[in-house]
Formats: sequence, structure tokens, C-alpha cells
Amino acid sequence: MASLSKASDSSSQRSKRSDQGMMGRDAAAASAVPIHGNLTQLIRQIKSGRLAYIKEKLEANRKTLQRHSCALFDVAAAAEVASRGTDGGNALSQRAAEGQSRLAGSDLANGIEERDVVYMQEENLAAGTLVLSSSGAAAQRTVVRFVKLPLVERIPPYTTWIFLDKNQRMADDQSVVGRRRIYYDPVGNEALICSDSDEEIPEPEEEKHFFTEGEDQLIWRATQEHGLNREVVNVLCQFIDATPSEIEERSEVLFEKNEKHSASSDKIESQLSLDKTMDAVLDSFDNLFCRRCLVFDCRLHGCSQNLVFPCEKQPYSLEPDENKKPCGHQCYLRWREGFQEMHDDGLGGCATYTMESGTASHKVDVNIMSESEDSNREKGNIRSMTLVGTSRSKIISSVSAEESTTPPSADTSETENVSSDLPPSSLRKHKISKHGPRYRERSPGKRQKVFTSDISFASNILNKLSIPEIRDTRQESRESGGDKLQIVDESTKKTSSKDICGESPTTTTDNVGRESNKVSSTNNLLEHTLSCWSALERDLYLKGIEIFGKNSCLIARNLLSGLKTCMEVANYMYNNGAAMAKRPLLNKSISGDFAETEQDYMEQDMVSRTRIYRRRGRNRKLKYTWKSAGHPTVRKRIGDGKQWYTQYNPCVCQQMCGKDCPCVENGTCCEKYCGCSKSCKNKFRGCHCAKSQCRSRQCPCFAANRECDPDVCRNCWVSCGDGSLGEPPARGDGYQCGNMKLLLKQQQRILLGRSDVAGWGAFIKNPVHKNDYLGEYTGELISHKEADKRGKIYDRANSSFLFDLNDQYVLDAYRKGDKLKFANHSSNPNCYAKVMLVAGDHRVGIYAKEHIEASEELFYDYRYGPDQAPAWARRPKGSKKDEASVSHHRAHKVAR
Amino acid sequence: MAKLGPGQGLGCEAAEGSLVPSRKREYKPCGKHTEGKRPLYAIGFNFMDARYYDVFATVGGNRVTTYRCLENGSFALLQAYIDEDKDESFYTLSWARDHDDGSPLLVAAGSNGIIRVINCATEKLAKSFVGHGDSINEIRTQPLKPSLIISASKDESVRLWNVHTGICILIFAGAGGHRNEVLSVDFHPSDIECFASCGMDNTVKIWSMKEFWLYVDKSYSWTDLPSKFPTKYVQFPVLIAAVHSNYVDCTRWLGDFILSKSVDNEIVLWEPKTKEQSPGEGSIDILQKYPVPECDIWFIKFSCDFHFNQLAIAQSLELAKMAPYGDGMKWIIRAPKTETSVAALPPVVMLD
Repeated sequence: MASLSKASDSSSQRSKRSDQGMMGRDAAAASAVPIHGNLTQLIRQIKSGRLAYIKEKLEANRKTLQRHSCALFDVAAAAEVASRGTDGGNALSQRAAEGQSRLAGSDLANGIEERDVVYMQEENLAAGTLVLSSSGAAAQRTVVRFVKLPLVERIPPYTTWIFLDKNQRMADDQSVVGRRRIYYDPVGNEALICSDSDEEIPEPEEEKHFFTEGEDQLIWRATQEHGLNREVVNVLCQFIDATPSEIEERSEVLFEKNEKHSASSDKIESQLSLDKTMDAVLDSFDNLFCRRCLVFDCRLHGCSQNLVFPCEKQPYSLEPDENKKPCGHQCYLRWREGFQEMHDDGLGGCATYTMESGTASHKVDVNIMSESEDSNREKGNIRSMTLVGTSRSKIISSVSAEESTTPPSADTSETENVSSDLPPSSLRKHKISKHGPRYRERSPGKRQKVFTSDISFASNILNKLSIPEIRDTRQESRESGGDKLQIVDESTKKTSSKDICGESPTTTTDNVGRESNKVSSTNNLLEHTLSCWSALERDLYLKGIEIFGKNSCLIARNLLSGLKTCMEVANYMYNNGAAMAKRPLLNKSISGDFAETEQDYMEQDMVSRTRIYRRRGRNRKLKYTWKSAGHPTVRKRIGDGKQWYTQYNPCVCQQMCGKDCPCVENGTCCEKYCGCSKSCKNKFRGCHCAKSQCRSRQCPCFAANRECDPDVCRNCWVSCGDGSLGEPPARGDGYQCGNMKLLLKQQQRILLGRSDVAGWGAFIKNPVHKNDYLGEYTGELISHKEADKRGKIYDRANSSFLFDLNDQYVLDAYRKGDKLKFANHSSNPNCYAKVMLVAGDHRVGIYAKEHIEASEELFYDYRYGPDQAPAWARRPKGSKKDEASVSHHRAHKVAR
Repeated sequence: MAKLGPGQGLGCEAAEGSLVPSRKREYKPCGKHTEGKRPLYAIGFNFMDARYYDVFATVGGNRVTTYRCLENGSFALLQAYIDEDKDESFYTLSWARDHDDGSPLLVAAGSNGIIRVINCATEKLAKSFVGHGDSINEIRTQPLKPSLIISASKDESVRLWNVHTGICILIFAGAGGHRNEVLSVDFHPSDIECFASCGMDNTVKIWSMKEFWLYVDKSYSWTDLPSKFPTKYVQFPVLIAAVHSNYVDCTRWLGDFILSKSVDNEIVLWEPKTKEQSPGEGSIDILQKYPVPECDIWFIKFSCDFHFNQLAIAQSLELAKMAPYGDGMKWIIRAPKTETSVAALPPVVMLD
């Protein structure tokens, strides 16, 4: 019958739990007895159900198996049938007959009963015969000639390995740390259990109990019959290896499940994908796409990388509106034409409708925001700051309202509000700086709100909130509207024109008299258009702004195709989007160029999205640091060869890297993958070499053990043709950089063969010159801790393919690598290994130390540390595979 | 890839099966044949061809020997092959059938890692396959395509070969492969693209060749040098099962279920539930456990008869016990040290 001894399997932890359950039961023993009996019966039912299930399964399997074996029999029989006609017949029948005849003399009748007949064989290797003798009643000898299997030379042993053309980071499930390993002595059969010292084995975590179907059934029926109370749970604890709270939780889950099940048909929740936010949609992209290798599921840098958004962007082309052709009949340009016609008379001089944000418009945006904030405060209309969006929508509304009545009016009203001792020209800046800190304070919260939760919700509410305000400001503006056209200078003209474009189409500036009628319709429209935008559309729109700038044609066509028309996008841009877009500006001091900040805001947005919680806490301090190649001391250290390189991780700094920059802390240079700008002081700037092919120490890249990078260096350029295919022309006057071999994979052909020294060896196919690049030593990137563990295992097998890469990683080519892993050690080598920084990654290149002839074997100095070197490595010529390592330390290869 | 452990708890218990031989089918040795001084590591009947159902082979040391069972319960020595390398020690053998003329092929391999294909009809070495980086622990033949063999090696790989053309078609190793010696492999009885492997990394892995079947077909018509064949690596199994907590030294398909054994004194019958769409996922369900007392030495294999009605296993190094799984057991041969073989054929002979 079924083996029910589950207790033996359960860990001590689990049994402890059931002890607790027992104690609980004792307390309520009296009342629990009937429940207990009931449950025992239930369990019996479940168990017999399980047995029946197994029996059924086995029976079914037996039947299929019968079919299978019959089919196999048919196959085997078919072979017989097929050969029947031919002369092949039974190839062994003749032999069998011989065999029978050989044994004919022996008394086989006795043989059947007990061990009467014992056949003995004697091998006569010299004669190549086998002598068969039976020790039964009748002794008899027969001779069979050996058929010799000719010798085939065996190949040197190796473990199957996978070719890697690029280093890979170790997958988590490949770790040997904390795993018990059992080794058997290769000679004897003695078991050596080699568990690493106990303290290294991690404590088993308090794992959550996984409820089986049977347990679910038990809980369900028990709670159905007895209700969910303490006693029942306590009794259940005796039968199920789970804590009472887990059981309670589970029973609730089951209850819900059954509820749902019984509640008629399942409701299919067809949620439109549009309800998701961009973050949710992009999550898999952000998690799986490697921005350094430009591939999905990068094996080198892994998934869930820290997202780094560069603070400098490629500028998008700003095409003046006038040159553009409408992208379709729903293009905003068409609408604008109509609009222009409608309002040309009213606006008079405001002819230019530059929709793209220019310098001036920006100034005004900022200006207005602070103004509206100011005026709001004056009026005592300030909403609580927790409703961050409120202020924003206030801004929106006030922008549309105030802008609609020309800025001069606002200006004037403000001059009244604020101290009047400042001249109007300087006032603007003064005010901004005054409000700057306040905005900055608020900005984190605001950002969070906008990007984590649904914008639509916030803005919808706020929209409604803003309605009365629009009226308010409108009233105000109407009052001041009288003298709006009085002050007309260069800048104000420009700004007003822009601002008019920014407002909603029905809000007219000049027709003040008609305005009161239109206010309500404006609001309706505003509300309508804004609420129609789903969260995803909003996010797509923002992305569009980031990519194309304020070009509604391109945004609508490329990102919102089928969702929104160009006109809708344009509408949105100037109602809501524009205001939203301005927001991030507030969190930085407006000291720089305004035109630049316009672009910056989006990027800052992106940077702020960086998932800091994903960041791996690897920014530990190191004993040795080295800075950019410009430092003279560093060069010496690089040549030193004893210190470790520091792993580079892109920083997410904005603009300039300060002391807090992880790159600076680690002592690595900032690379092109960092978030910081090109002018960052910690950035490696590449070389400007125009001679020596970047292969001498004169080249700062070469001197810093880096390969040149076409993105960074001035003259190092890779081209894939002569320009006939339309590729960009080569820079640097045809300068040939010789320091990009790893990057471009310009390696030599390496051959694998039987080494002259021991085991396998790597050979070169074609002759090479001194310092030529031969190939890369690739492998799995593993941590130093992992390498220590693996090293112990490899030392048993006397073959180690570990290679120290930097302070964080060791390369292990044991199961994954390339042919260069078979190059043997020599203290008088013809090659050398060098760790190079290639596009932010450390890689090991093997270079020729001298001229090497074709098909020569390759050796390099593994550079074992003095305490690590195995005994053989100390002798002049040895091999890594020959002898046992004497040292207790693992043997690592080290580059020079 | 994540290893899958068996479900635990109420409703997942395994039934306890019995391997105790029933009285009426207790097998007694009726003949003893001592073959040299070296231990015999493997023995196998020819299941591939109905003509040769009465033929079996043994390997031990550097010798491969074939016998034929006789009507009277005895058996006759047919052929003896000897490797010129005295240090070779054959660990495993398997019968195969030639693709062209259907002549019986005997495939044997061992410590040298070289697979020897012997044509028993002509008594000549047909081919030798060099490629494995270390010794070979087990070879099995695909019964539905008897020129396909699969080999499990100490070099952590499993390889699929075409005996007909001498091509190594696929190598099962890499990212999802075994992390220590592979000890045993077995083809699925009906699904030609599927097999299971197990080894010293305590796991059983189920592999599928579905996506690579093109190469299998290609291997039959390959006329160029075998070394030029585009051998493919299969890096990810369909399922990784952590049924045992020690070396898994034998695995056999029983229909769609798997019988596997470790050193825990029991043979476990379990059901792998794979998911077609998402390899690596699924579950395993331990159905039955057969206790085998005194079977805690590793590298003892068990074996079933043609119809999977009988299972034979050696206990420790001395005892052998027959296990009637159903009925129809007729002929048992036991080799010391490692493997016991059962065949559904007339009289009972014990080899010791």
C-alpha cells in the first residue's frame, strides 16, 4: 500500500511547525477531537483517491507501452521478413551451428537442472585464441579465434565545451557556491563528500508552503464542514506542513476561487492594452534590451540593467512650419490655416505661428508659470501641494487663459504684485530664481506621481478643478485686456504669437466681448480632448516629443498612427502636453541656455525614470584606483600588471559627474554609455592620433590598455565600403587605426591540435608579426567567490581555465570559451595576454610576443601569482594539465 | 534553466511498488560461464532484429563476446573480439542494425571514449567514432531507426551518431546540459525525437530533437567526410528533473513514464509532464517507488525485458533479484558488477 511516511522527508523546520500545531491542539483538544476524526477520514479519502489515480495511470501507461513494444516488435520482425528472400538470411546462423556443434559433446541435459556444467574460458592472447572448456561431466575444449579491433589512437581528454565569440555572464543556475558536491576518488570507489565548509552553505530560507491539490481539497472540505476557525486550522496544521496563517490564507484563496467558479460564467476581463502606461508596456523592453550591445537578452550585460539615458540627445531637425506640407487632411497645418484666416484680422501683427519651441517661447513659458503661480498665491488660491497635479493644471489653465490675453498684461499685473522697485526687464529673472527652489523641492514628488500612476486620472480631475480658475483669470485678463496691444515690442510680439498658438483653438484672444460665451465651450472641449487620451497615448506622445520634438505630424504618424490624428496631437500639445512638457524645467536652475533646456527637460524626465531600485550595489570602494589616461601616474600602473582593473558600470549622472558619481568613486572613466554629458571631466576622450596606427604608447587609448572607439576617437574610423553604397565618408583622412582588433574581431585563424607538450594545444595557421592580435580568450564571467569554488573543483581535475579579468569578474573557459583556452603555459612564451577595455567591457586579447611562423604552437605565460602557481608552473617548461597542483590556492591566469 | 523537484505533500505521495519475485516465477541459474578474469560491465540481447533475438553479447576489459542461446537452455560462444589497446575497458554495448543490408551491428565503447562499431555478420570492425572527450558510460540504439545510436560520456555530453554514415549528428551539452558525467541515456519507446539522460549531477534531463530532426535526415544522405557534417549543439533540454539527491546511474522509459535509480535503495517511477510551448517548464509527479534493499552502490544498472514486463537489477555486487513487473518472464542473464539483462525468450540461463 501507499507509503505514507512523509515525516522522514520533512525537514526539521517543518517538523517543528507540526509540533507547534500539536501544542495548539492540546489547548483545544476537547473540542478538536471530532474535527480530528473527521479530517482523518477526509485524508484517508484523498489518499485512496491518489492511489486510485496512480493505479489508473499505470494501467493506461501499460496499455500504451504494450502498443509501443508491439510496434517495436514489428520493426524488428520486419527486418527478418525483408531479409528472408535474400541470401543474407541469418548471418549468424552458420556460426551458431558451429557453436552448437562445439557443444554437442557435452551433457546438456544435466545442465538445465543445476550448476552442473561450468564453462571456463582461457584467453591465449599470444596465439590470439580463446579456449573454451567445460568442467561438467564431459570435459571438452573448443577454440575460438579472436577478431582483433585495430588500434585507434585516443584523443586527449576534454570536457565538452561550447564556442563563445563573446564573453558571457554566468547564468544564476550555474553557480556552484553553496551547493553540496560529491566526489568519488578516481581510483578507488571511496566516496569523498566534498561539501564546502558549513558556514558557506546558506541557511535555507523560510520557504512558502506550496499547497497541493489534495491539501486544497482537504482545507476546502474541512472549512466547508466546520467553518474557518482556530480549531480547524490547528487540526489542519497537523496534517499539512504549513503555518496556521498560511492555511488561513489559502482557505480564503480557495473560497474566492470557488465563489468565482460558481458565479455563473467567468467574466472575461478584456482590458484594452491602451489602459496600460508606457512604463508597463516598455517594461519588458527596458528589462530585456541591452543598450550597450543592442540586442535583446544580452548574455554579457544581463537583463534588468540599470537604465541610463544620456543627457545629451541627437538634435532633431527643426523644420520651419512654413516649409512643411500637411501630412494629411487631418494635419494641424490645415487647421492652422483655417485658424489663421479666422483670426488674422484680430491679431494684426502676430503673423508668425512658429509652433516649434524657440528660445523666446521658452522664456515665456517659464515666465508665465511663475507668474501664474504668483498670482494664484496672491489670490489665495493655492491648492495643497500634495496634489501636485493641481498646480500643473492650474498652470495649464492659466497659461491658456493668460496667454490668450497677451503676456504684457500679465507682466503688468505682476509688476503690481511684486515689489515695484525692480525694473521690468530684470524682474523676470529675479522671479524665476526666487521660485526656483520651491519648484525643485516639489519636483520629485511630482515626477513620481506623473510617471508612476495614471496621468489621465489626475489630469481629469484637475481639469475640472481648473475650470473655475480659467474663468477667474479670464475675468482678470479681460480687465487687463484693454491695454494688451499697447505695448508692442520685438519680444512680446513674438511671445504673444506663440502663446496664441498654444491656446485652444476656440479661445480667441481678441474677441474679448464674445469670450464669456465661449468659455464654457472651451472648457468642454478641453475636457473632452484631454480625457480621451489614454495613459499609453499620453506616454507615447511624450516619447514622440522626445524623439521628434514638437512635430505633431511625425508624432502622429510614427507613434500614434491609428490612435490619434495629427490635429488631435497638435491640439493636445498646446493644451495639455505643452504645459506638461514645461514642468520638468522647474527642477533645475535656469541658468543655461534656454534653447537647450527645452530639449533637456525630456531627457531629464527620462533620467528620472531610471530605476534606482534595480541598481546593483556594486559600487564598492577599491584599494587601487586609476583615472583617465591623462594621469601620468596611471600609465605606470597599467604597465605594472599587478593590480586589477576595475569593472566599469555606466553612471546615471546628469550633466557633470561630481564626487558622488559611481564612476568617480570606482576610479573608472566615464564612457559613452554613461548618462553624463560629453564635457564630463571624468569622461575618457579617446585619442587624436594621426600616426603610428594607435599602436604605440603615444596613443592615449593604447597606453590606457583600451581599444580605440570610433564613437570617441577622432581619427579612428571604421568604414565598410568606398562610399558607393551611401555610407558616410570616412573621417580622419584614411587613417588606419590598428587598435580596434578586438572590437572588429579581426583575429587570426587558430587551430586546435595535440600539443607537443601535453594534452591539447592551440596553433596558429598563418605567420604573424610581433604584437599582432591573435584572438580573444573568451569565457563565462564569474565572480571571484564563484571562481574560488570552481577552482577547487578544477584543481581536482587538474585543469583550470580561470583567467582573472578585473576586480569583479574572473573568466572561466571550462565549459564555454574558444580554442585559445587550450594554449599552454610556458615561462618562455611566444604570446602574451592583455586585458583591454573595449567599449566599456574588459576583454582578454592574446597577442604575439614575437614573430610566429605558420602552424606553430602558441604559449603564453599564465602569470600565476607566486603563491598560486602549481609546482609545474615554476619549472621552465611545463603544462597545465600534467601534474597535481601542490598549492592550496587555485591556479589563475593573469594578464600582464 | 530551473530544475524541477517533485511535488510534496498530501495528494502527491508515491505508491509503494514491490519488486519481490513471485514464487511461481523465481529464476534459478542453470549454467555458469566464466569469461576471463575481468569483470563484465555490460550484457545485452539483440532486440533490433527478430532474427537474432537469441543472440546476446557481453563486454568486459578490452573484449567483446557474442553468444547464442540454445534450445536446451545452454548457450554457445559465437564470436570474440579484442581491442588491440590492452588498456581499453569497455563499459557498455548496444546492438544496432545496418541501414543497407540489415546485418547485425554491435556497438561497444568504454574508457577510451572511442565507439567501436562491429559488423557481426562479417566479423569485422565497421567503424570507430572518435570525438568524445572522455570515457563513454552508456550507449543506446533508437529501436525505430536502428542505425541511430546515442552515447553518454564522462565529458558531460550526450551525442547522437549515425552508425550508417559515421556522423556525429548532434551534441547535447552546453548551457542546459549536464554538469558532471552522464551515466545513462534511454530513448523514448515511441517518440523518436525524445530521450532521457541522467548523470552525476543528480539530475535527469529530457531532451527533444524536434527542431534538429532535419540534421538527422541529412545524416543519412551525407556523402562528404563525416567530419565536415555541420554537427549541432543542443544546449537546452525540455525538462530537468531533480528526482534524486545523489548520482542518478540508470534511467529507462516505461511508456511515457520514467524509471530511474540513484543510490537510495529504490527505483522511482515518475511521470514527466512537459509543456510543449515552454521548454524548461512543467512538473514531475512521482508515482511509485520500488524499494530495492542493499542497492546503495552506484553504477549498478537495471534493465527490462522487451515487453517491459520484467525488470532485473543486481543488488550490491552479489545478489540478483528478478522483479516481475507483469508476466512473461522467460530468460534472464546476469552479469556481475554492473548490469543485468532480461529477455523474453525461452529458458533461463545465468551467467556469472
